Amino acid sequence: MHRFMNGLARLMAVLGGLVLTVLIFVICVSVLGRALNTLLHSGPVVAVLGDFAQTLLDTGVGPILGDFELVEAGVAFAIFAFIPFCQITGGHATVDIFTAGLSVRANRFIQMVVDIVFAGVLILIALQLYEGMLSKMQYNETTFLLQFPVWWSYAASLVGAVMAALVGVYIAVVRAGEFFGNRTILAIGGADH
Amino acid sequence: MTTLEIGIASFPVLLTLIFLRVPIGLAMFLVGLFGLFFATGTFNMGFARLKSETYSTFSSYSLSIIPMFLLMGHFATLGGMSQSLFKAAEAWLGHRKGGVAMSAVGACAGFGAICGSSLATAATMSQVALPELRRYGYAGGFSTATLAAGGTLGILIPPSVVLVIYAILTEQNIAKLFLAAFVPGLLAAVGYMITIALYARIHPDRVGTPRERMPYAQRWRAILDVWPVLTVFLVVVGGIYLGVFTPTEGAAVGALGTGLIAFANGGLTRHSLIESFMTTARSTAMIFFIVLGAAFYNGFLALTQVPQELSNYVVSLGLSPWMVLTVILLIYLILGAVMDSLSMILLTIPIFFPIIANLDFGMTAEEVAIWFGILVLIVVEVGLITPPVGMNLFVINSMDRLTPMVETYKAVMYFVASDIIRTVILVLFPGITLFALRMMY
Repeated sequence: MHRFMNGLARLMAVLGGLVLTVLIFVICVSVLGRALNTLLHSGPVVAVLGDFAQTLLDTGVGPILGDFELVEAGVAFAIFAFIPFCQITGGHATVDIFTAGLSVRANRFIQMVVDIVFAGVLILIALQLYEGMLSKMQYNETTFLLQFPVWWSYAASLVGAVMAALVGVYIAVVRAGEFFGNRTILAIGGADH
Repeated sequence: MTTLEIGIASFPVLLTLIFLRVPIGLAMFLVGLFGLFFATGTFNMGFARLKSETYSTFSSYSLSIIPMFLLMGHFATLGGMSQSLFKAAEAWLGHRKGGVAMSAVGACAGFGAICGSSLATAATMSQVALPELRRYGYAGGFSTATLAAGGTLGILIPPSVVLVIYAILTEQNIAKLFLAAFVPGLLAAVGYMITIALYARIHPDRVGTPRERMPYAQRWRAILDVWPVLTVFLVVVGGIYLGVFTPTEGAAVGALGTGLIAFANGGLTRHSLIESFMTTARSTAMIFFIVLGAAFYNGFLALTQVPQELSNYVVSLGLSPWMVLTVILLIYLILGAVMDSLSMILLTIPIFFPIIANLDFGMTAEEVAIWFGILVLIVVEVGLITPPVGMNLFVINSMDRLTPMVETYKAVMYFVASDIIRTVILVLFPGITLFALRMMY
């Protein structure tokens, strides 16, 4: 079970990372296109290349249309996809100094309550995101430049949100098992940033 | 209870939750959600906000800079740039008393110019510098303290993840904040080097033997070896300063650049790429969850009007603006001993910023905002190296099993002192932070 969940979380993180990488390429191509476009419009270049500068411009050299919208949709998916891995490795920022003095049992109890509440919040987030998606569908909202339906990006993000909720529930169950069984199943990692 | 009272009551509740080890983002989210419930009598408002707010927070174009900068930092690590930076710094500084430690600080400053995270800088440079420091006979505690302090340069010298968050919270221009952070960042590096020189005088037995002096030809050659770092820095930060591209575009270009360098050096394999994704995923999710929680909590606070009322109250007290500023900075120093920098900023800026913006420091509103941002950036970073729970101290100490924590604690106090002196100077002379800005704009 843990291997499955861990694999799932890692898979989502890699997917998110790949989408992030694609966005980085999109932005770089767009920046390059814009730079070339400016260059081809500049006086000296037009003087040297003559009509050829215009011919090049006519092929569509310029920034990618709607790169901004692609980045927004993509990065939302990436971040939702990153949450399961953070959840399963206990990567959230906490203040440990005041609970360090408590007994192991007390700490297990706190951890259980925290992770049950966390699972509840992740489920709530996924549910409300679904609601949000439905309303975007209903009003047929599209993005300004690319004119693609906004609910598509909501749907992509929803995949990550559902996985996060799933992993959240799994972690909550593990922590409950740790508290009632009085043993450590899954070590908690600290925050690294 | 009036909504104002509910807002005020939320502070102790939030702190209690955080101190009970509830993740900071989750704690803010919960207090925000239940706060809205108590203020409006229903969950409708909170739930309605959730429909679009998670998505809009995570899809923010300006915040997308964060995962890109994080990825860029990992690629920089994989590209072996820490090694060449340290060698270059050593060529110039290694022959001085405490010179190897100064080189470590210099290399951290260089790495900070392409990495926006303090822990990543500290951890990366430690791998290179700790063995060298040991080889030249430096005391363990002094070595770890030097690297912990040097790591803070990762955030002080732009690009900086913390500044991005500050800019978004206070609606300031990221490029201007980066520009303003540059001189104070360099001052920090110089201050640490002076600290090392002083330490070498006080404890000559703990700084080992200097290296032999290098001929200038070799020194310049070492500088040439850091050209990839210089190029990436100049393109990214230069491009952002000059307005050639937006900060997000700069981060993307930087990530691609460092990625290509890492690939050319053979550091970027399928395995290490996946590991970079994993670490980026973890840190990004952590940061965005805090951002989401903070957005929720701050939305609730704004509804209760606590920030305005508090700000008006402070103004009505008629205190000297400088005294208010001092108290706020002291609060950060204290909080910094137990909390991480991003959480602190997200938690406190919505409350402190309106107070500062309402006071008269004899500067324009924008100048005050930028100057205050840099000061906050510095004091929260001091928290990273302040015992007992400075995050950098833990990271570095865990990399050097032979050095007891207490030794690191003792040595790091010299660097903390240097930080505090620098903060006082920057408070007294806002011009140091702002002159570059006044020249450029």
